[in-house]
Formats: sequence, structure tokens, C-alpha cells
Amino acid sequence: MSTAVTARTTSFDAESFEQFLSTRNEPTWVTDQRRMAFESYRELLAIELDPEEWKRVDIRAFRAEKFGISTTSKPATSFGTLLADRAEFAGVVSHIDGACTRTTLDPKWAAKGVLFGNLSDLVRDHGDVLKPYLMTHAVKADADRFAAWHGAFWTGGTVLYVPRNVQVAEPLYSLIGLSADGATDFSHTLIILEEGASATLLEETASASATASGLHVGAVELLVASRANLRYVQLQNWNDKVWHFAHQAGRVQNDASLQWTVGALGAKLAHIHQDVHLDGKGAAAEVNGVTFATEKQLISYYTQQTHHAPNTRSDLLYKDVVRDKARCIWRGMIKVDPGAQKTDGYQRNDSLLMSETCRADAIPGLEIEADDVRCTHGATCGRVDEEQLFYCMCRGMSRGEAMHMIVEGFFQRVYDRIPVEIVRETLGQAVERKLGIGGE
Amino acid sequence: MNDFERVAAVNDIPPGGRLSILVDDTPSLLIRIQDEFFAVEDVCSHDGQPLTNGTVENCAITCPRHGARFDLRTGKPLCMPAIEPISTFEVQVRNGDVFVRPRS
Repeated sequence: MSTAVTARTTSFDAESFEQFLSTRNEPTWVTDQRRMAFESYRELLAIELDPEEWKRVDIRAFRAEKFGISTTSKPATSFGTLLADRAEFAGVVSHIDGACTRTTLDPKWAAKGVLFGNLSDLVRDHGDVLKPYLMTHAVKADADRFAAWHGAFWTGGTVLYVPRNVQVAEPLYSLIGLSADGATDFSHTLIILEEGASATLLEETASASATASGLHVGAVELLVASRANLRYVQLQNWNDKVWHFAHQAGRVQNDASLQWTVGALGAKLAHIHQDVHLDGKGAAAEVNGVTFATEKQLISYYTQQTHHAPNTRSDLLYKDVVRDKARCIWRGMIKVDPGAQKTDGYQRNDSLLMSETCRADAIPGLEIEADDVRCTHGATCGRVDEEQLFYCMCRGMSRGEAMHMIVEGFFQRVYDRIPVEIVRETLGQAVERKLGIGGE
Repeated sequence: MNDFERVAAVNDIPPGGRLSILVDDTPSLLIRIQDEFFAVEDVCSHDGQPLTNGTVENCAITCPRHGARFDLRTGKPLCMPAIEPISTFEVQVRNGDVFVRPRS
């Protein structure tokens, strides 16, 4: 038997790395961290990705050499964003093609010590605040080749730091945009909430054109200290030419809570490794996911809810709609450490298949090492019920309208859990628009 | 209609050999049996994973995991557990080069 060989090269080699470092002007601790990550990247690139996580995600068509970090591209002037104009935000940070284009923060919050801005600037100006958290607790650069790649080449990203007992009442907004063809974004979102703080960050990814290819290798770190309360939303709305790889992790301390919502509508291929760690007694996390994949999109989530402490609660609900030749993959795990008694863990994934040729894989799992817990999980998968369609059509709806109503109804249960009204509305409208594309 | 794209030189692949290629961003396999070339999608229709190193016999490829077999000419499944076909592509050999395009 002969073995097929595929040639591999990359433009993210040692020479490009050194060149990249020379443009950064960063404190030594950041440069050292990048160098270690680059070493890990080179080592991890040579070994196979974890088959448990990756065997259903086919990245053979991905060519890293088609992409490079841009130093010259001009930011596009307008983005068809979903959220930007929908509310008064306490602050806005925008990144386009990896470069920060805008940062604002209401002075009343700045006066209370809130930091909201670009990671590249804040590692220089507030390194003492960020150093203990940046890629040390939540996302680690040696996790796999994508985490290491990100750790070596991160281009910037949104940082939110809220000091002790400061409660930011209005939501903050972050935009990650891709505009030039072949552009990359390695942005890093870092949120640090100190004891008793609270905040809401709405983040959105968008493409300036429908045809430009792009690459996002991102990371999200959410660090929620005791009694703090964070609501974080990420709406992934790239065009269908973008490759999206991300490590996202939240760590929740004593009696703190994290409400995390992800919406995935775009990307050619998206794979997100999402971890929630319940680190302190009484910590709680709620994770909501809305995925709608069409044409030849592949959207994959690998989620872990890890209970490290007693009396912790986690609740995950993902709803996927798949159409055309698209694929959705969800692999979820609840882990309970030996000491984490009285854990309450839940995970559920529902998939709705709208065509003969789409596919959904749902693989829930439990790993429980404590003996006094309540952990439940489940997955459902099904076609749109012809009888329901017939019922609606008997009452004067077209087949398309009926399908639309059924999809809306399917997502409603997860919309109901989303704590921010504009996000609920926006997601609903985005799904509506996408349902229109290509018709039913 | 898509144009033919050059994917290899005839001499790149010895008789009985194979090469991983991309056709329209679909991971595919170019397989040579004596002097004839076949191009098929490199994804098993049963479990959605690669056929890459599957045994080729009697103009059919066998999935290395669960034993599904596909006809290299038509993509049709020849045995369980596969029940759906895999895609096949048009192949032309011109002046020592192999060209492939998706079927219209």
C-alpha cells in the first residue's frame, strides 16, 4: 500500500517571526512569552492534532502559506456590522486586519479605573495589570498548534479590566474585522473582572466584503474573580471564505457568574475550543450557542465544562441549524474533579437538519470523579417535520415562511436565555437574513 | 463550467501509486492504475473521514476504518456500511500532465 504525501510550507517561519517581533516594540516579558510560544508552535506543528478533537474537522484544504500578517493594508471604511449601531456603548474597540483602528471609553468609567483598549498598547502601558493573566491561566500557548501559533503572533485585541466592586452598567463593544484578501487576524480578547465587579462585552467578527479570503487564529480569556459577574457575547459573522480557529476559556471564582453566548453564522471552516473552568465554590456558568451553517460551511465546537470546586453549576445549551452541504460538529464534555461535590452540570445540543446533504455530529460526554453530583447531558438531531410544514401551509403560509417560522421556534429556547436584548434581536434578524440566502 | 486544472505530472505517480490533491477545495485522491488515472473525493461517505490510505483493488478503494468500498470510476458504494456515493472527477492526460475538473 502506498501512502499519499502532501507538501507543506508556511510563511510563519523563524525569519518571518523575527521580522514580526522587530515591528512590535514590546516589553521583554511579552517578547519572551512570544518566543516560548513560537518554540511550542514549531514542535506542535510536527505532531498530529489530538484526534479526539480534530478527527471530524477536515482541515486538509487549509493552506497557511496563503495568509500573512499585514503591516500595510488600509482599513476599509465601512463594515456591515450587526451590532455596532444598535445601542449606546460605554466603550468601543475596533480591529481591522489585525490593527487597532478605534478605542473609546466613557470617561466616567475610566475615572473609576476601568481599562478598555487595545492589547498591544496596554501591555506597554499597564503591563503590571496584564502580566499575571495574559496566557497564564485560561488559554495556554502549549495547548495545541493553534494556541501556540496565536501565542507567538497575536496582533492585538480587546482588553477589558474592571477593578474591584466597579459595576459597568452599559455594555461595551468590540469589533474584529477582516477587509483585504488574504488578511489575517490574530486578535486576543482578554477580560479581567476583579472581585465584585460586573460588565457586559459584546464582540462581533465581520468581513468587509463577501469574497475576500481571510484567517483568524484567535483566543479569548475571561477571568472572573469572586462575586464578579461577566456577560460576554461573541457573534462570529465572517464571510464564507474565512478560516476561523480559536481557543476560548473562562475561569470563574467563588460565587462569581459567567454568562457566555456564542453565535456562529459565518466562516468557511470554524473550529472553537471552548473551556469553562469553575474554580471556586459556588461559581456558576451558563453557555449559550446558536449556530447556522449553510452551503459548504463547517462549524465545529469542542466544549469542556470543568468543575474544580464544590457547589458549582454549569449549564450549556447549543442549538444548530444545518442546511445545503454544511456540517456542524459539537463535542462536549463535563468534567468533575474528585473534590467537586454537589456539582450541578448540564449540557445539551439540538440540531435541525434542513437538507438531505447536510450533516450534524453531536457527541456529549461526562467524566465524573466525585460521588455526590447531578450531571445530565443530551443531544437531539432531526429533520424539519413535514407535518408541521403542512400544518402551516394549510393556514396560508408559503413553504419558505413555514420553514422560517419553524427555525425561529427552534432557536427560541436559546434566545430566551440570552441576557442582552439587542443580542437576541440581532441574532434573530441575522438568522432571518441567512434563511433568505439561497431560499428554502 | 469549471476548467481543467493541472494537478500532477504523469511521472509523479508510479503505476499503483496515489497523490493527495485539492479539487475546488475538496480534498481528493488521484490514483493511477497502470496507465489510467482516477480522481475521487478523499472522504468516506459513511463516517466523513479520509480514505487516503485505503487499499485499492479491482478499481475500487476500501475505507481503512470500516471497510466501505467505492468504485473509482463512478464513486458508487459497493458494500456496507456506505450507502451514499463519493464524488468523482473528470481526468485528462495531456502532454505528460494530469488535469482534473469537477463533473458538470
